[in-house]
Amino acid sequence: MRKHFKEVLIKIAEKDERLVLLLGDISVFLLKDFSDRFPDRFFNIGICENTLISMAAGMSSQNLHPIVHTIAPFITERSYEQVKLDMCYNGFGGNIVSCGGSFDYAWDGATHHCYTDLELMRMLPGMEVMQPGSKKELGLLLESQYANGKPSYFRIPADEHHLDLPVEFGKANVVLHKDSAELTVITAGPLLKNVYEACKDMNVNLLYFHTIKPLDAEVLARYSKTKMLVIHDAFGLFESVCAAVDAKVKYHGIPDKFCCYYGTLEDIRRLLLLDAPGIRKIVQENL
Amino acid sequence: MDCFCKSVRQDILRISQHSGHGHIPTCFSVVEMLAAVYSEMKHNPADPSWAGRDIFILSKGHAALAHYCTLAHSGYFPVKDVYNFGAFSSIFGCHADRHRVPGVELSTGSLGHGSCVAAGIALAFKIKKSPRKVYVLIGDGESNEGTVWESLMVAAHQKLDNLTVLLDHNKSQIRCLPITRPADKFRAFDCETIEVDGHDVNALKAALSAPANGKPKVIVADTIKGCGCKTLAENMFAWHRRSPSKEEMEMLLGELK
Repeated sequence: MRKHFKEVLIKIAEKDERLVLLLGDISVFLLKDFSDRFPDRFFNIGICENTLISMAAGMSSQNLHPIVHTIAPFITERSYEQVKLDMCYNGFGGNIVSCGGSFDYAWDGATHHCYTDLELMRMLPGMEVMQPGSKKELGLLLESQYANGKPSYFRIPADEHHLDLPVEFGKANVVLHKDSAELTVITAGPLLKNVYEACKDMNVNLLYFHTIKPLDAEVLARYSKTKMLVIHDAFGLFESVCAAVDAKVKYHGIPDKFCCYYGTLEDIRRLLLLDAPGIRKIVQENL
Repeated sequence: MDCFCKSVRQDILRISQHSGHGHIPTCFSVVEMLAAVYSEMKHNPADPSWAGRDIFILSKGHAALAHYCTLAHSGYFPVKDVYNFGAFSSIFGCHADRHRVPGVELSTGSLGHGSCVAAGIALAFKIKKSPRKVYVLIGDGESNEGTVWESLMVAAHQKLDNLTVLLDHNKSQIRCLPITRPADKFRAFDCETIEVDGHDVNALKAALSAPANGKPKVIVADTIKGCGCKTLAENMFAWHRRSPSKEEMEMLLGELK
C-alpha cells in the first residue's frame, strides 16, 4: 500500500508543483523515486512530529499543499495539539498521511499500536478523516482531497480488502443488502475483508465507510430501523455512527485495556475476535 | 524611552485598567522588540494581506495586548477599538485570533507553536524562492517547551536564513526552569546569535538587519519584565496577571519616563 502511496504522490506532483512532502524519517528509501524526481519538494524533516505538523500548517498558510507522512501514534497522539491549533483552529489545513494504524505494527507492541487516531482527528472542527481500505480508495481519496486547503487525515493500511467498490469522498457503500435483515453491520478500512467474509452468507446488511468524517448519514438513516453493530479495529467509526443516527448501535472492536501481545496483525485480530470466524460469532450473537 | 514605545506602554496601562485584563509586565518587556520589528519588516497596514509582506508571529501569545497596541500605533486599526480587550463581543481577545484581528498572522496562546509554524513558512518561502522573511517572538518561559528547540534544529538544518527568532529574555523563568546562557544554547543549535539590550530600539534594528550568514538568526534580547515602570519591574510576579485600579494606573503612568 505504501508503494501505491508513492505512485499516487508522484502522479500528483507531476501536475501540481505546490505539493510538498514532509517525512518524519519513515518511508525514506521507499520514496526515493519521489525524492530523486522532486528534490526541492521532498524534506525528511526528522523525528520531530510536533514540528512536522506545525511546519505543514505554516506551509499551507502560504498556499502550498504539504503532506506529512509518518507513523500513526506519533503524528496523531503526540502531536494532537499541533493538529488542533495550527492546522484546525488557525484554519491553515494540511494533509497527514499515517501508516501503522491499529495493529499494523503488531510485532512492535503497545507503543506502536494506534487505535485512537481516527477518533481523535474526528473530534477536531473542520477535520476530514479517511481510512482507505484499498489501493483504489487511497488513490482516489488522496487525489480528490489533498488540495482543498482543509486539514485532512488519511490512514494507509498494511493490508487491504479486495472488493471493487465505487469511491466517492464522504459516501458510504452498501456492500450487502437483505430486505429481511434486522441487523446492519458497519465497518471501515481494510477490516472489511474479514467482515465481508464473515457476513456474506448471513441475513444482515453490511455498510462500509472509507470516510469517517464527514460521515454519510444519509445511508445510515436508510437502515436506522434495524439494529446496528459497528465492527472496527479502532475508535472513531462507532462514535461517529452514534452521533449521526437515532438507532440502537453496538460496538465490537477495541477492549478497554492495552494489547500486550506481539506477533502479526492477524494474530491480534484473532485475539480480539476480529478475524472472520470471530466476527461471524459476534454477528450471530447479535442477530 | 522611545516616543512610540512610551505611547504603546501608556495604552497598555489604560486598556488593562479599563478591561480588567492584561499581562502588563510581559507586555512591557516586548514593546521595543515589537517597535523594532514593525519598523524593519515589510508590511502594509492599509493592506494587511499584501502578498509581499514579511510575517511576524507573536508566539508568546499572552503579550497580545502589546501586539494590539503596536498594530494600532502602526495604523492597522484605531487604538480605541482595543479598549474592549477580552470582552465577550470583542475581536481583541487576551490571546489573538488571526481570523479577526488585522495584522495577526497566527492565533497563539499555547506556548511552543510559533517557532515551528514560522519554520514552515520560512521553508515555504525558500521553496517558492520568495524574498519574504519571517519573524517570531518567543519567551524564555516558552523556551521550556521542547518544540522551540525542535524547530530551531530543523531551521538550522534547512538553513532557513530568512527566519529570525527574537527571545524575550526577561528572566521571569527563574521561578522554575530558567534558560541559562541562552546565547550559548542557540549557538550550539547552529543559529546566528546576537545579544542585544532588548529595550534599545536602535540596537534591535541593527541586530535585525545584521547578516544571517546562511543560518536562522536568533536575537537574544536582554529585557526587564515590567520595563518602564519601577513598581512593575520590582514586583513582576505580583503583577503578572493584575489589572491596575485607576489610582494604580495613574501612579504607573507617572512612572513612565
